[in-house]
Amino acid sequence: MFTQFMKLFSVNLKSMFREKQVWFWNIFFPIILMVIFMVIFAGGSNEFKAKVALVDVEHSEMSTQMADQLSSIPMFEWNSEEPVSIEQANEWILSDDIDAAILLPNASNGNELKLIYNQENESSATIQGIKGIINEFIVQANWAVIGVEPTFVVESQAISSAGHTINYKDFLLTGMIAMAIAQGGLFGMIEMVEMRKTGLLRRLKMTPVRLGLNAAAALLVRILLAIVQIVLLSLIGVFGFGATLNIDIPTLIVAFIIGVLAFNALGYLISSFSKTLEAYMGISNIASFLMIFLSGIFFPTSGFPDWLVPVSAILPLTYFVDALRDGMVYASGFLTSKFWFGLMIVTIWGVVAYALGTMLYRKSKIETR
Amino acid sequence: MALLEVTGLSKSFGAVQAVKNISFSVKAGEVFTIIGPNGAGKTTTLEMIEGLLPPDNGAIDIDGLTWEKHREQIKIKIGIQPQSSAMYELLTIEENLDLFASFYPNPKEVAEVLEMINLTEHRNKRVKSLSGGQRQRLAIGLAIISNPQIIFLDEPTTGLDPQARRNIWDIILKWKESGKTTILTTHYMEEAEVLSDRVCIVDQGLIVAIDTTANLIEQLSNEREVRLSFVDGEASARTAKQYISQEPTVVNTKLEGSTLHIWTIQPEETLYKLFGFTQDNGLRVEQVAIREKSLEDVFIHFTGKEWRD
Repeated sequence: MFTQFMKLFSVNLKSMFREKQVWFWNIFFPIILMVIFMVIFAGGSNEFKAKVALVDVEHSEMSTQMADQLSSIPMFEWNSEEPVSIEQANEWILSDDIDAAILLPNASNGNELKLIYNQENESSATIQGIKGIINEFIVQANWAVIGVEPTFVVESQAISSAGHTINYKDFLLTGMIAMAIAQGGLFGMIEMVEMRKTGLLRRLKMTPVRLGLNAAAALLVRILLAIVQIVLLSLIGVFGFGATLNIDIPTLIVAFIIGVLAFNALGYLISSFSKTLEAYMGISNIASFLMIFLSGIFFPTSGFPDWLVPVSAILPLTYFVDALRDGMVYASGFLTSKFWFGLMIVTIWGVVAYALGTMLYRKSKIETR
Repeated sequence: MALLEVTGLSKSFGAVQAVKNISFSVKAGEVFTIIGPNGAGKTTTLEMIEGLLPPDNGAIDIDGLTWEKHREQIKIKIGIQPQSSAMYELLTIEENLDLFASFYPNPKEVAEVLEMINLTEHRNKRVKSLSGGQRQRLAIGLAIISNPQIIFLDEPTTGLDPQARRNIWDIILKWKESGKTTILTTHYMEEAEVLSDRVCIVDQGLIVAIDTTANLIEQLSNEREVRLSFVDGEASARTAKQYISQEPTVVNTKLEGSTLHIWTIQPEETLYKLFGFTQDNGLRVEQVAIREKSLEDVFIHFTGKEWRD
């Protein structure tokens, strides 16, 4: 029995690593994707900067004073040291040379301070940011005019349950690892479809070997592949992009094993009703694509529109990525109920997928032609 | 005692009755061939015996065991080469054999099987890169690796060139020499004649004839076709025809240019008389032929169909 298992294990291992597609989709693809995302989203500084210009029609004492104060705001980058004409500002806005122009109060517009921006960008984060800063500036200015010291002030400070400050790189790295493992599971059962198509499954059924033994051997190989993924991606994330990991071994192991099993079960389910390789690849692609974007791998799910939140809240990847983050960046979770609740949902997905897949395989009597 | 006993086997797929009440038995050491046109029910019959398809009716007994009660034991006693030979494409020949050997309690040595299927020098080639003939030999190797008592080969030479086909025949004959049993399906008449001890002709799900090749041929009417062609053309042939058609043993004659066809129940006597006549009359004979009866004639006789490969 054991030698049979080892033989099957080595056969599965060889079949897997001799297949170039496996290398591409399971190793190179996640790495390339991670490098791209790291460079795009985590490469620059996180500070807010906006390009603005000042328009001062009157050059009154008040407007000059305001201009002085505005120019000392560090988030603003001035396109020109001196105030410009309104025509010039409009031209810059339309050609996207600046994000907005600030029109200082003058006699003709009362005491209004005007913000001019391109309507296309109205809801952009930059414009929202500029509006916020200007509002704050006006409030301060009004207080100064009437000579009041504010009673309450807000000072914001980001906190996190991690031992150190989390940055987007850590978030992205763990998301990538979760995605790679999920995809490994979803696409991994392509072998089942292939074996069914070529008749190898049927051929094995003619021998006394137990197919369950083969499945176990194949699963062990997949776990091995997932370990390779997690180590490689972590090394690249940490040494290539300066991500910081804070690993809690028991949390990580539990999350990892349950995740690998559950996503392989999902792949198994898809394989049970896919008659061709193309169908299997198509369905797996849709499933993984939806999960990747709805499960908070690249962006936190809190920014999602309301109607999308419940969808995200039932997907297994949402919980798997959380559990993995518990194990890899927060070094917590093993004792929290949130961690176990999340894993329970992942487990339910796995068990249901496995049961359903087995039922479908039985029902189709594995017409292994 | 029979090693394999099949009684009253039937199978329908929907409205189509693929196999109708087939019975036969095979002795140890025999090469038993099931022959018939495409769609005759050969593969269905074989798959029921191999335990891959449950029969609607009938019983299968393999060395005293039945599929219902002794599934695992039978799997060890038989070796199967299915029509579509599936194996691990990315593994080498040797790795495939080695894996299948591990499934059985008492397998043959991989080296011995490699030798037998004549793939020793290619043993490190991956299956993906094998030729059709090599693949088929490996498929047979996978059937015999378990050291079974009986092997089932389903059209092992279909689609192979003549040389590759002969290589397969060699393997089957070697297997037979070792005293083991083979059940073979084919649609090549020649193959059945060369390899089989007994032949079973199946047509439209029924057995139409079953016996040794020699007996089957014997059962046919004993007239033989003799052919002569003459150097001096049609005139000589016509003269000879007039003479020989008076013989009581000659059933029929036909003239085809300078060639004379004679159907006779006594070929030796007919030829003896004919040669006496040609010598006396100075007719010069160019070619003489007696056509052997073949399994093909048997097939045509029993099924009323022309044979097509």
